[in-house]
Amino acid sequence: MLNTTNKKTAVVLFFVSIIYLIASFKLPSYAYVPIDSNVIPIGLGVILLILSIALFFIKDEKTGEKVKLPKEDLIAILVVVGFILIYIFLLEIIGFILITALFIFFCSWFLGFKKYITNAIVSIVLPFAIYYLFEALQIQLPQGILPF
Amino acid sequence: MDVFHGLLSGFEVALSLHGLLFVLIGVTVGTFIGMIPGLGPITAIAVMIPITYGMDPALALLLMAGVYYGAAYGGASSSILLNAPGTSEAVATSFDGYPMAKQGKAGKALATAAIASFFGGTISIIFLTFLAPTLAKVAISFGPPEYFALMLMGLTALSSLSDGSTIKALISATIGFMIATVGIDSQTGTPRFTFGNAHLLEGIDFLVLALGLFALAEVTSLIITRKEKVGKSNTIGSLKLTKNDFKEITPTVGRQSVLGFVIGVLPGAGGTIASFLAYISEKKLSKNPDEFGKGAIRGVAAPESANNAASGGAFVPLLSLGIPGSGTTAVMLGALMVLGIQPGPLLMGDHPDVFWGVIASMYIGNILLLVLNLPLIPYISKVLKVPRPLLTSLVIVFCLIGVYGISFSTFDLFLLLGFGVLGYIMRLVHFPASPLLLAFILGGMMEQSFRQALTISNGSLSIFFTNPIACVLIIIAFASFLVPIFKTLRRKAKVDQSVDM
Repeated sequence: MLNTTNKKTAVVLFFVSIIYLIASFKLPSYAYVPIDSNVIPIGLGVILLILSIALFFIKDEKTGEKVKLPKEDLIAILVVVGFILIYIFLLEIIGFILITALFIFFCSWFLGFKKYITNAIVSIVLPFAIYYLFEALQIQLPQGILPF
Repeated sequence: MDVFHGLLSGFEVALSLHGLLFVLIGVTVGTFIGMIPGLGPITAIAVMIPITYGMDPALALLLMAGVYYGAAYGGASSSILLNAPGTSEAVATSFDGYPMAKQGKAGKALATAAIASFFGGTISIIFLTFLAPTLAKVAISFGPPEYFALMLMGLTALSSLSDGSTIKALISATIGFMIATVGIDSQTGTPRFTFGNAHLLEGIDFLVLALGLFALAEVTSLIITRKEKVGKSNTIGSLKLTKNDFKEITPTVGRQSVLGFVIGVLPGAGGTIASFLAYISEKKLSKNPDEFGKGAIRGVAAPESANNAASGGAFVPLLSLGIPGSGTTAVMLGALMVLGIQPGPLLMGDHPDVFWGVIASMYIGNILLLVLNLPLIPYISKVLKVPRPLLTSLVIVFCLIGVYGISFSTFDLFLLLGFGVLGYIMRLVHFPASPLLLAFILGGMMEQSFRQALTISNGSLSIFFTNPIACVLIIIAFASFLVPIFKTLRRKAKVDQSVDM
């Protein structure tokens, strides 16, 4: 029964709208406000509920091109997402310049950039340039463990 | 002081050697700041405030005007080249600008953006010069019901005119609106959908959503095509617009500049709504709307001219009433007050030199932007020559910095990644991302004006129908759903005919 993309998506959206509606009804209400803070959320929840039901019954577009992602590409995307997660975790610990340099170098290398020297130069120069540009604009990026 | 006298004395300052130098610096700095995601006109002007402190107000204004226009143009170029709109005003530009860049027409797209912004800006300044006092009166008559209706119209029009299924577009818009409800409700102070997380109290920043949905999601396709050699897609192409191109964009620029100016005058509406409405209406007017989203030159010209015209329009309430109509003009107001100038009804009477100085500096800033940026385009578009793997890492880093630079919290970075994944899934299941983003941008304001309107009417919905302007706008909003229905019917009729044969 859940054989089309639309139907699968519709079921997910249906549950999203139910959860959203439950959260909306739980919002506290006040006595002397003509339009309380839960009015719009409840309205939106109901609209999404109706739309998800409608989506369940419409046919998928005839675009036969099933976007099949080669396993290799999927792995590449997941690895990059992993890199981004590491970046976020370490940003405030080891500092902007260091983590950005490492990220640019390894991410570009992983994606197939073979010119190591160019890569190294960009990875080192760019973080410094950005760091000091932001400092000139009075935005302080995390300094981290570097002494300067 | 009459209009011409005033302008003349304004130009005297602006065209002095000092004046020109400051505009020049402003435009250059602004363009570079604007190109970095996360740093838009607002930041650019804000960081200029301490620099201009103590300067001659007239020169300071010239610098500001230059920065303002430069940053707006810089934002458009990162939209076009990287699909990474740095400001909400530049989102609509990416719809056709980025496809054009992909087809090897980046130079043309950037030139179109520059020319369209120039004309949009110039037309709106001319209007501003002559109409400011009158228009100010109209703007204050626009109350909550009219605003709500205007924004509703923008939203439904975008949903019903986007490609593919209208239902999917509406679902996108609803989800965008839902994301906008996260945070403290500004009328009652109730925290909504924050799940006890302090980071969510202020709501989700526009940039987190825009960079995630557009730029990070685009990164996935950069990864998939990472092995492609630097080929056709990486060439800049000619900058020159052909005669046909000019013929195509002239009427677009003309009407969208007027539209943009009118929307810009309304406080709160501003460049974002103007650029989206311009894009939508241009698509609707076009004989072959299918070209839009696939690199139509009009799709770049329309939002850019409207956006810049709106920025001129936004100065009407700022200068004549002292009410800033947008985030950027709010910062401008701050900057003016630091310089000892209080915009408002008295400005024209008390300090005509300042009033006309502002307007003259806008003319000059606009012209210099065009003069400076056209020759810079080949250098700016060098970005496309960067090898794919390196470009991919750089885009990711810029997204991360852009978000971190405004919130200084890694929580927002996780959100950014989350929206990137959402954007990618939406692409896989063919959901359009632009209605989601527009609904998110407008959601907060729509809810406010909806509730203010109902508070005025004591809870009765009739206020939207007894008010003539609001009523007409709402009718148009719902009528726009008829367009896709007609299309489907016509398609069905065609299929039936072919079956008969």
